[in-house]
Amino acid sequence: MCEPTFFTVTYEINPYMHIEIRPDPSAARQEWGHLVSTLQQTGATVDFLAPVKGVPDLVFTANAGLVQGRRFVPSRFRHPQRRAETPVDVAWFRDHGFLIEQLAGDEPFEGAGDALPFGRPTVIVAGYRYRSSISAHRALGTLLGLPVRSLELVDERYYHLDLAFCPLDDRRAMVAGQALDRYGCRVIEALVPEPIWLEDDEAADFSANSVVVGGVAVMPACTPRLGKVLEKAGYEVVVAPVGEFVKAGGGCRCLTLALDVP
Amino acid sequence: MALVQTTGPSARAVSEVVRLDGHVLDSLVLVKVLDTIVDAGASYKILELDVGTTNRDESHVRIEVSCPDEAALGALLERVQVHGVNREGQEEAHLVPVDQDGVLPDDFYSTTNLPTWVRLSGHWVEVGQPEMDCAVVVDLDGTTARTLPMHRARRGDRVVVGMHGVRVAPPRRSAGPGEFAFMTSEVSSEKPKGLTVERVAATLRRARLHDVGGQSRGILAVCGPAVVHTGAAPALAALVREGWVQALFAGNGFATHDIEAAVLGTSLGVPLSGAEPSEHGHANHLRVINTVRRFGSIANAVDAGWLRRGVLYECVRAGVPFVLGGSVRDDGPLPDVISDTAAAADAMREHLGGIGVALMLASTLHAIATGNLLPATVETFCVDINQAVVTKLADRGSHQALGIVTDVGLFVGDLADLLCGPDWRAQVTRGP
Ligand SMILES: NC(=O)c1ccc[n+]([C@@H]2O[C@H](COP(=O)([O-])OP(=O)(O)OC[C@H]3O[C@@H](n4cnc5c(N)ncnc54)[C@H](O)[C@@H]3O)[C@@H](O)[C@H]2O)c1
Repeated sequence: MCEPTFFTVTYEINPYMHIEIRPDPSAARQEWGHLVSTLQQTGATVDFLAPVKGVPDLVFTANAGLVQGRRFVPSRFRHPQRRAETPVDVAWFRDHGFLIEQLAGDEPFEGAGDALPFGRPTVIVAGYRYRSSISAHRALGTLLGLPVRSLELVDERYYHLDLAFCPLDDRRAMVAGQALDRYGCRVIEALVPEPIWLEDDEAADFSANSVVVGGVAVMPACTPRLGKVLEKAGYEVVVAPVGEFVKAGGGCRCLTLALDVP
Repeated sequence: MALVQTTGPSARAVSEVVRLDGHVLDSLVLVKVLDTIVDAGASYKILELDVGTTNRDESHVRIEVSCPDEAALGALLERVQVHGVNREGQEEAHLVPVDQDGVLPDDFYSTTNLPTWVRLSGHWVEVGQPEMDCAVVVDLDGTTARTLPMHRARRGDRVVVGMHGVRVAPPRRSAGPGEFAFMTSEVSSEKPKGLTVERVAATLRRARLHDVGGQSRGILAVCGPAVVHTGAAPALAALVREGWVQALFAGNGFATHDIEAAVLGTSLGVPLSGAEPSEHGHANHLRVINTVRRFGSIANAVDAGWLRRGVLYECVRAGVPFVLGGSVRDDGPLPDVISDTAAAADAMREHLGGIGVALMLASTLHAIATGNLLPATVETFCVDINQAVVTKLADRGSHQALGIVTDVGLFVGDLADLLCGPDWRAQVTRGP
């Protein structure tokens, strides 16, 4: 995770960002600190990336790249506004002993924001249209040697896949069908044995942008209905509001990048 | 009932072949693309479907999409592009800047000698100065491209890497009416020589007579010392004088012997008249080189009235450019010889502009060097006494080359007879 010291909204690259609606720095700092301690309480170990002035979205570490074992595939941001993040991310992963592997080609790819491993045997579920390109999925499949399921994101409010798809375990995932077309929904049905489909308000509240640590789901928001469904599935729900970050289009999971991906 | 002529979509449909690659079956991307095509009122035909064997394997699909008109097709293909559908061969060329002078990016696209295009900002741009074994460099605003020999690469030059966005024309089979059928990489030794010489003469006439798109094409002569040893220098000199040569490439050997023959009447000390070699004749060519060095250049030797005949004399008189490339075995060398071989090749490149036909006359070294620089569109004739050399020179895959195994002296003499008329022999005996 990356401390929101320099977090702000200075450009608009998704429907949530408005430069006239700046996040409140101290509220953001507080929400972020609360998220860190919540994650630590679930038993997670949190490593930190030093913030960099003038690189406000560095806090959204989910988009740094894709981790697989000790390999790190850096993102290739679609928007020039975010490209300054990549050298910072790459330096961190190199310093921490990861093997840096560049994705072939030059098509945009936005890391764990758009590519999520799911199931046994593992399949990469990947989103395309607003940020990553489907050609990058192909390069990713080749690089990782894994099958890829490409899902078109059809609603710009869910511009990254991690706002619409949240793997819980090998059988279950929260899914915002609102973000997908009928082809995408059919792919999910074929791939996820027990999908938990989100209601409109749950999807809009970024419920799919939750961090799952063991049996705990750390969520930016959760309706009573969804809470019950998750409980029945054996998950404990902890809500960690991150409203200041929603102003930049990100939830809890956008603020984290899992390092223990097999 | 009247007959109605059909002018409906089927009659004027336009189509294009597209590709879709990746895990497109399980992702239902292929189904989505096909549905999109049908929903748009277009039709498709799957030309190729390779689904791989395991779920890790990519699928590869080639689809022919047909639309009632060009505009609808363009709009549809643009719409499905986001799903990874690409017009076949319509990918942009990938460019990487040179990071060290004289060194190309690792994965540089290595050229053939065939006409080549690179795709830049959605357009096919023809690569200028086609030459094999080079890189392709794109100018700063990305609108023109040309070949770039490795040693000329400069930091910051943008060079094409990989195979994407590069299109190469298939080798041309025939250059037009009257082209003879054995033009492609054929070695002709069994064929009657007279007929072969006539066909070469016909090609040279056509090149000079503006028959390709109304433009005359230049003739390049590449010469080895055997041209002089066999007594063919006067014939070649006549061809130059009468305008049958627009550029000449050779080495120190040919030039030295041409001048030695012109000034002393010997070649390597042996009188070309057939008389007995003189005692100190073996040093003749060294004295000739030494004198030309004193003049400073072959042109100076002509201007001073010392050199009065021969092939290079005619070149200087007619203003036909010649490039003399150096080699490690050279004596002297003559002041005109370019000893830096990379610089010599660059000088040769300078003169390839309007060349349409090349005559390689008895020099393995200079013929190979020239062959490497020539675009495949240049018709090439290789004349050599050695079958193996001719085969090697003629067999350049895409190149239009005809090998002729024969004595260069006879060949050039016959050629001059056909192109210059019998008068040239009279001029030789008369002398200047
Ligand atoms: N004294 C000198 O400085 C000197 C002398 C000779 C050559 N050279 C130089 O050495 C280099 C290579 O020399 P090269 O071009 O002579 O050698 P080369 O081996 O490259 O080519 C000579 C070719 O002529 C062919 N040949 C010989 N007699 C023939 C005939 N009667 N008819 C048809 N073909 C015949 C041979 O088969 C051979 O392929 C050149 O750069 C040349 O200038 C220098």
